[in-house]
Amino acid sequence: MDFQSFFMTFLDLRLMALVGAGTAAGIYIGAIPGLSVTMAVSILISFTFSWEMYDALALMIGIYMGGVYGGSRTAILLNIPGAPSAIATALDGYPLAKKGQAGEAIGLSTTMSALGGLIGIAVLGFAAPAVSEFAIRFQPRDYMLLAILGILLVGSLSGESLIKGVFAGALGLTIGCVGLDPLTAQERFTFGHIELWGGISFVAVMIGLFGVSEALMQLQHINTPAVKQKISRVIPSWKSVVKFLPLSIQSSSIGVIIGALPGTGGDIAALMAYDHAKRVTKDPEVPFGKGARAGLVAPETANNAAVGGAFIPMLTLGIPGDSVTAIIIGAMFIHGLNPGPMLMIERPEMFWFILGALVLATGFMLFFGLTGIRLFVKVVELPRAMLFPLILLLSIIGAFAVNNSLTDVYWMLGFGVLGYFMKLYGYQLGPVILGVILSRLIDDNWRRAIISEREDLGRLFHGIFTSPLSLVLFMAVVMIFFTSTPLWPMLKKRLRRKADPAPKA
Amino acid sequence: MKKKLFGAVSAAALVFAGAAMAEYPEKEIQGIIQWGAGGSTDAVMRAVTPHAEEVLGGKVVMQNMTGGVGAIAAKFTMTQPADGYTLLMGAENPMLYKVMGLGDFDYNSAFEPVALLARGVPILVANPDAPYNTFAELVDYMAAHPEEVKFGSTGPGGLPSVVTAMLDAEVDVSATFVPYDGDGPALTALQGGAIDVMPAVLGAALEAIKAERIKVIALVDNTPNEALPGVAPITEDFPGYGKYLPWGPFFGVFVKAGTPEDVVAKLSTAYLEGAQATDFVELLENRAYLPINLSGQDAKDYMAKWQSVTSWLVQDAGIAKRSPEEFGIPRP
Repeated sequence: MDFQSFFMTFLDLRLMALVGAGTAAGIYIGAIPGLSVTMAVSILISFTFSWEMYDALALMIGIYMGGVYGGSRTAILLNIPGAPSAIATALDGYPLAKKGQAGEAIGLSTTMSALGGLIGIAVLGFAAPAVSEFAIRFQPRDYMLLAILGILLVGSLSGESLIKGVFAGALGLTIGCVGLDPLTAQERFTFGHIELWGGISFVAVMIGLFGVSEALMQLQHINTPAVKQKISRVIPSWKSVVKFLPLSIQSSSIGVIIGALPGTGGDIAALMAYDHAKRVTKDPEVPFGKGARAGLVAPETANNAAVGGAFIPMLTLGIPGDSVTAIIIGAMFIHGLNPGPMLMIERPEMFWFILGALVLATGFMLFFGLTGIRLFVKVVELPRAMLFPLILLLSIIGAFAVNNSLTDVYWMLGFGVLGYFMKLYGYQLGPVILGVILSRLIDDNWRRAIISEREDLGRLFHGIFTSPLSLVLFMAVVMIFFTSTPLWPMLKKRLRRKADPAPKA
Repeated sequence: MKKKLFGAVSAAALVFAGAAMAEYPEKEIQGIIQWGAGGSTDAVMRAVTPHAEEVLGGKVVMQNMTGGVGAIAAKFTMTQPADGYTLLMGAENPMLYKVMGLGDFDYNSAFEPVALLARGVPILVANPDAPYNTFAELVDYMAAHPEEVKFGSTGPGGLPSVVTAMLDAEVDVSATFVPYDGDGPALTALQGGAIDVMPAVLGAALEAIKAERIKVIALVDNTPNEALPGVAPITEDFPGYGKYLPWGPFFGVFVKAGTPEDVVAKLSTAYLEGAQATDFVELLENRAYLPINLSGQDAKDYMAKWQSVTSWLVQDAGIAKRSPEEFGIPRP
């Protein structure tokens, strides 16, 4: 009978309104760089502590779902990802907007986000215990291999020159190392400055590299009139939804798993899904990075699927899948629940309630997402002389809002200028961000992995080769590395010649 | 005349300052949580703060700033102005920074205690598949398999390192120590089999224990605990630990030293009253924490005593970087 709780948010007008309001607010919070869902939900904890638990949860779930989607808005329209999970969206979303297809891009990303969200929720509903058992089995070495797999995405984000991409990725890894070492509190690259102890704000780097550098770039064509946006086709055709269905199911699976892992979240999921799309899409209508629709669909389905994924270890084991679910766990404590492995047994109705609220929030997301498009794309049609000061202003506010720190604003502007020159000389910025995101994951888990094997490389490899999961990840790393080298096409050619020995006479 | 004028001006300044202070808090207060989301410090702080906010009539926005055994959060708070708008929500760790070489400060030298809220009971938990069920069996296992057992840790000076030092003072603990960001991630790793044994605070592990996802190896206390029926305290088999116990991590809210007294008093009232709220008391019970509820000089004395016991424990265990003597910390 606990299943009835699934419909609670659908049947109670107040709960429904709260989910709706949360989703709408989440879309805007997500769209503004610097305002994060984590921040919004933690503020809500103190705001809603006197509320009924169901009311508070309904609002938080709405904000979570809306916020993850909202980041794609500014990524597509202004090349500023509203949240780290929308970084991959900007790679092909913004080129689409530049071609006058912002309306279509937003429509497609909205529909696909909803689809990804629903797939994530379905996995949560039907396979939560199995997935969480799988997710907690990830050892430090597996996280390390996953991070290496992530770092190899440099290969697909480098554009024209792999060497320049590798350089950019290394720069990102170095930026991520700045600050007190998380395991030993030793200072790294701080040069004695207290301001650097906490590291360089990742959001400041992201806003600077994406938003500001693009604005500076566009200043070179200040008098070119803005591209007229076609807004006739906003809701994607059934045909294109069907066309992307296989890809979105694949990228949703990536999203659910990465989301369910306690150490990783939507940002890494979206980037990995983007890379996957690039690998499996044989003939994109336009090249990736220039406005390929598949490059938009994959990250958007993956980051929303990661929402359902993040709830999996949280509801089954009381282990947060990401920073937002960690805060929701805190909220549940305050409301007298004990989130943990017993929650599903003692209070099964909570599980179904959350599942129902997530489905409803996805519905609201689709509705709010598709209705506002016509108004939003007008932003891109603003004269450039007005648009770029606006982008700069938004970037400054965004960088400041994260820690209320002016230092972050200077970092953001500095990285904006750096990004401008890097672009000018043919360096892609994606690998830099990738390096920053993965830096801690790779650093912490490499050290954990080698420490737990008593600093013996032989034992580490023994561990990798005797665990099926580690072995699969290791093989994937080797395969992707190998197929990115010039050896691979040579080998393939030779194999084909062998398989096909008699040329047609 | 001049003197009179000066007096009048300073009196006016005092009145003005008083008026300004009376309005505290006039903007959002920042709460820096020293440990990761989902961990024990996080749970306690997020539960008590809404009640304190009610008494205070202001907003406390909480943020987790992890790393460096809590030193990153503590050092950050020390860089902020001493105006009561940045709270450090921490655990006991800074009381060990001096001897662990993590900093030349502690709560009593660089901070002003707002409220010490609760203390936890340390336990030793293990993966259910581990081939030992009691501390005595673990000791035998480690003797037979040196360095094979993987202990989770949260860095030098964290609770696991102190509990390990205490255990090592009486028996031989031969293990490999794997560092994690906090007890939350480490307990996850324990359930996933990445580590074998974890010294943890009872509250953080309780739900997983109830569900039999992890098992209790030792209750590191000198009395049985209501939350763990049937588990004997470690002193039963190893009476030698009696001299260190009871010992436990504590949670408190702090502001930078030099914060105006009336602001500290206002915050203390808010947090101590907030800690009386029924649902917070219930939460402490559910999570097996014992309330402390101290502020001002009492809180400082409590921490000084804790520091003396613990510093000498890690010094004698040989994991201290600098002797407590250097800092004038008396031997208990």
